[in-house]
Amino acid sequence: MIMRLIKKLRSNRLLIGPAVLFGVALVAFSVLTLTQSTAKAQEALVSTNPNDIAAGAVLYSEHCQSCHGYEGEGGVVSGAPSLVDKGAAAADFYLTTGRMPLNAANNEALRHHTIFTPTQIRQLVAYINALPQITGKGGSGPTIPTVEPLCSNQGTLAAQSEKGCVTLSEGQQLFSINCAECHQAAGSGNILSNGNVIPSLNNASLTQVAEAPLVGPKPMPIFTELSNAQISAIARYVVYLHHAPNPGGFAIGRIGPVAEGFVAILGGFCLLWFAARMIGNRG
Amino acid sequence: MTGTLDDNRTPFGRNPRHFGIDPDEPWPDDVPMDQDDTRWRYQGDPKGAKKAERRIAAAWTVTLLASMGLAAVYVDGANTQLAGLCWGLAFGGLGVGLILWARDLMPGHDVIASRGHHNVSSEADRVAVAESLGRGLDPMARRPFLFKMLGAVGGVFGLAIAFPIASLGPRPHRNLYKTAWGKGVRAVTLEGKPIRPSELPVNGILTVFPETDPSDALSPTLLINLGDADYETPPERVGWNIPIDGKTGIVAISKICTHAGCPASLYNVVTHQLVCPCHYSTFDVLQLCKPIFGPAARGLPQLPIAVDAQGFIVAQADYSRAGGAPVGPGFWNRG
Amino acid sequence: MSTTEERIAAQKRYRAAKAGTDTVDERLGSSKFLTSVLDKIFPDHWSFMVGEIAMDSLIVLIVTGIYLALFYVPSSKEVVYAPTSGHVYIPLVGQKMSEAYESVINLSFNVRFGLIMRQAHHWAALIFLAAVFFHMARIFFTGAFRKPREINWIIGLLLWQIVALEGFTGYSLPDDLLSGTGLRVIYSIIESIPFVGTWLVYALWGGRFPGTSLIPRLFVVHEFLFPLLIIGLLTAHLMILWHQKHTDFPGPGKTETNIRGSRIWPQYALKAGGLMMLVSSVIFLLAGFVQINPVWIYGPYQPYTVSAGAQPDWYLGWQDGAVRLWPHWEFRSFGHEIANPFFPGLLLPGILLSIMFAWPWIDKKIYKDYKAHNLLDRPRDKPFRTGVGAAAVTLFSLLTMASGTDIIANNLHVSYEAIVVALDYLVIIGPVVAFIIAYKACQRLQEADFHPIQRPVGGVIYRTPDGGYHTVGDVHHGPSHDAPADTSASHGAGDNGDGGAGSGSERSVSAPAAGD
Repeated sequence: MIMRLIKKLRSNRLLIGPAVLFGVALVAFSVLTLTQSTAKAQEALVSTNPNDIAAGAVLYSEHCQSCHGYEGEGGVVSGAPSLVDKGAAAADFYLTTGRMPLNAANNEALRHHTIFTPTQIRQLVAYINALPQITGKGGSGPTIPTVEPLCSNQGTLAAQSEKGCVTLSEGQQLFSINCAECHQAAGSGNILSNGNVIPSLNNASLTQVAEAPLVGPKPMPIFTELSNAQISAIARYVVYLHHAPNPGGFAIGRIGPVAEGFVAILGGFCLLWFAARMIGNRG
Repeated sequence: MTGTLDDNRTPFGRNPRHFGIDPDEPWPDDVPMDQDDTRWRYQGDPKGAKKAERRIAAAWTVTLLASMGLAAVYVDGANTQLAGLCWGLAFGGLGVGLILWARDLMPGHDVIASRGHHNVSSEADRVAVAESLGRGLDPMARRPFLFKMLGAVGGVFGLAIAFPIASLGPRPHRNLYKTAWGKGVRAVTLEGKPIRPSELPVNGILTVFPETDPSDALSPTLLINLGDADYETPPERVGWNIPIDGKTGIVAISKICTHAGCPASLYNVVTHQLVCPCHYSTFDVLQLCKPIFGPAARGLPQLPIAVDAQGFIVAQADYSRAGGAPVGPGFWNRG
Repeated sequence: MSTTEERIAAQKRYRAAKAGTDTVDERLGSSKFLTSVLDKIFPDHWSFMVGEIAMDSLIVLIVTGIYLALFYVPSSKEVVYAPTSGHVYIPLVGQKMSEAYESVINLSFNVRFGLIMRQAHHWAALIFLAAVFFHMARIFFTGAFRKPREINWIIGLLLWQIVALEGFTGYSLPDDLLSGTGLRVIYSIIESIPFVGTWLVYALWGGRFPGTSLIPRLFVVHEFLFPLLIIGLLTAHLMILWHQKHTDFPGPGKTETNIRGSRIWPQYALKAGGLMMLVSSVIFLLAGFVQINPVWIYGPYQPYTVSAGAQPDWYLGWQDGAVRLWPHWEFRSFGHEIANPFFPGLLLPGILLSIMFAWPWIDKKIYKDYKAHNLLDRPRDKPFRTGVGAAAVTLFSLLTMASGTDIIANNLHVSYEAIVVALDYLVIIGPVVAFIIAYKACQRLQEADFHPIQRPVGGVIYRTPDGGYHTVGDVHHGPSHDAPADTSASHGAGDNGDGGAGSGSERSVSAPAAGD
């Protein structure tokens, strides 16, 4: 937004004075709002309402049963895993990210637009969550995690020892050691062996980021050894990255030196190349 | 020119033998510099010149405004984008103005001059320098012993004065063979918490450090719970893993890539492969972490682990002392 | 045209200027030298300005670098980031980091104009190296390295290497995750040198990686040792260029023994100054609008962490690419080992560089041409050399691409294994194909086109002050119909200020293929 404003400015220099003031105000405002913790209202937890479970069962039989089998027992032909002990977190993660349902059983589960409405997802999650009771077998899997809020006094060292809230600093460190090697330091994603995709985290919601380490959506490993506070910190940090200020200007994907090299050669040097052509003799 | 590549083919079928300067080719005398390069673009066109002047003034006005803007930006908190805009416009206006001034209002046309003889000296000068050099060389040649001794002494002394370089760092000895792991050293997390096997889920991966020296750069180790995956265990590595429910369970693998030392920690749980993000060496965890793709030539070393009396994961020995290879990339004296 | 007042003013100016130069001359005896400087003739083909772009970027680098050095703290001492005043970058509060990294964070967030200076420094480095590469390519393809300019070719190559290393040391100073990863790779490459590697790496780092000695040492190298070498070598580079006079493309009236161009003062000097301002302008616009190396996102370096997409800056990409593509060779015997990174990291660049250093002499052998040259070759006139150059550029580009295998694979939605295997073949086949294409293209272009020096050029005739005539240029071939009818020398000269438009009219008569 600031960029576009500045672009416009360049074409109309008369507006420099007011626009400078406006721009500064805008920057100050956005810095203030972005650095303040924005602890959102907690998303709805898993429903145990029998109506939801019943509606979920209907949706399951329509969309999921062909692969995952009757009452989530797993598909023999399709090779789809049993859902009985997968828990609500897995159901919510796979459905809200549109990874499920798959068009074909051997497709790689990647992020897509979800085909279900939030209500339908809630019902399906309720059904999957209730599967251990319905079938009477299997332990229950992880439930949808409650993401802890950000500490209000994050700028100080005192926040590090505070209970019941998490800091972006914790999140950054845990992200660095557990996530950045695959998802890249800015969460822009990369590629794994055998062409398996490491998705960008730019579209992942707070809950989805918190669910992924519990679920371990293959080829990603599982990180249940992390505490809920740690997972919350990671989720808070990833969501922070979505809107993290780029004080240096256009972030060019924050993918590092490759993009920077392109800009330097194609943007910087070529511009000067043309300048030299205009200045010098072309004979 | 026979035998050269046929590069100088021309439509005229003639080799341009006159290319290049023959040593005996006469140089032209200095071309007189009376050539008229005092004309300028808008000479005799006062209107055009005035316009050009205005263009230059406009460009420099941009610089002026941008400089003032820069001051305002600084006072207002020095936003980087606005600063960049001001710097860019200030430099740009200055540059465009200078170039326009040179193009439109400054005299300067192509003139031709001799390159002169500056590049090569006259034969007399060359003779003179060789003779001057000989003044010293001849006496030196008369004392071949001293001459040779000076060379030898210089060489030895040269080596001697290189000794300060040796102070730059310690000698490696067998230091690169060691990590901070050893018998009974607990594996702890980043926060210094010891780990129980039950905390690591199937398909879980965790970076651990030796409790005795967590900051040692060669020690970071990955604990991977392989579950019931079919882990290849040669006789010398039996008992290096912590089985869970009679299955393969947890193995400990060095996080330091054997190629260039980056943390090889991109774990693909579908194929049980570890990938290093620096040069994309790929290791198959189920086959003793042997390299299956990329430039790495050796597998990632495995750390023998066990559970201590309190139920925490500990190392049985250091990597190399347990019969494994030293951790990390290769080096000359790696036996 | 000139009024009396104007003449008086001009006389005044002249007297003031003379008084000034006299004052200097009485101390230094400099007038003759200064005249030669002001009257120096410089051919101003646009491609000769690429080197100037490099030099201008270097000036920006030096100025911004001095500024950054005033804030940077070269220390590996561990500190906890907890600023009590100014802007605080919240995701790092409470983290352990080196003092060096902390100082870069503070410089970026807490020093007004600190971030733009840091970004300008980094962008200037990337553009500098781009200009160096294109300058080098121009020299190669036009044969400007031939006698008597071999020394400057060598100095130029040395400069390229030192400048690339200077760039790498700069990339490493912030001690963020990327720079630490880069240093880890360089440590492994040095470690792999036969015989001395282990000892050398222990001397440089003061022991095992990462240690605490390196950052202060890198600072000395980046701030003092390499800049000293760069400035020294660049001075030699420019003095030799000045002494030997610039090369020029062949064209009407141009011979090996004359030089055509405009005098430095005033037009050329102002244009050069203007270009320098434009270079600064582009660098600062990039610095203001495009974020480079956001070290606060990468976080402080810890030996156990890494980020995907770990690449060096683009100018070292070809070496990193070679390391990625090299087969998994490693040789062990007699209790010693030559580790894998040695071959692509040092041996291959060493071989390629040796060929480049030796090229002026290889070129002499190939073309059996041991003479001195002041006129450039058009690339098409030397198909073999142009072919070799095209092959080298192709190899270099493919290796640079290989440095981004993961990024390419991710964007093309194919596996990195496929990209690596494809590039493995391409780096062998590509240069050969490029050579053949360039060679054939040169031959076709030659057939389709006249060589400017072989056309009946007629030469240029000058009238000397005493009324005699003087001819410059080749007058032996064909009628001199395009020689200026009147004897004014300036007639034969193009309008360099206006670039093509002015000179085009003159050349449309005589030289449809003048220059390149």
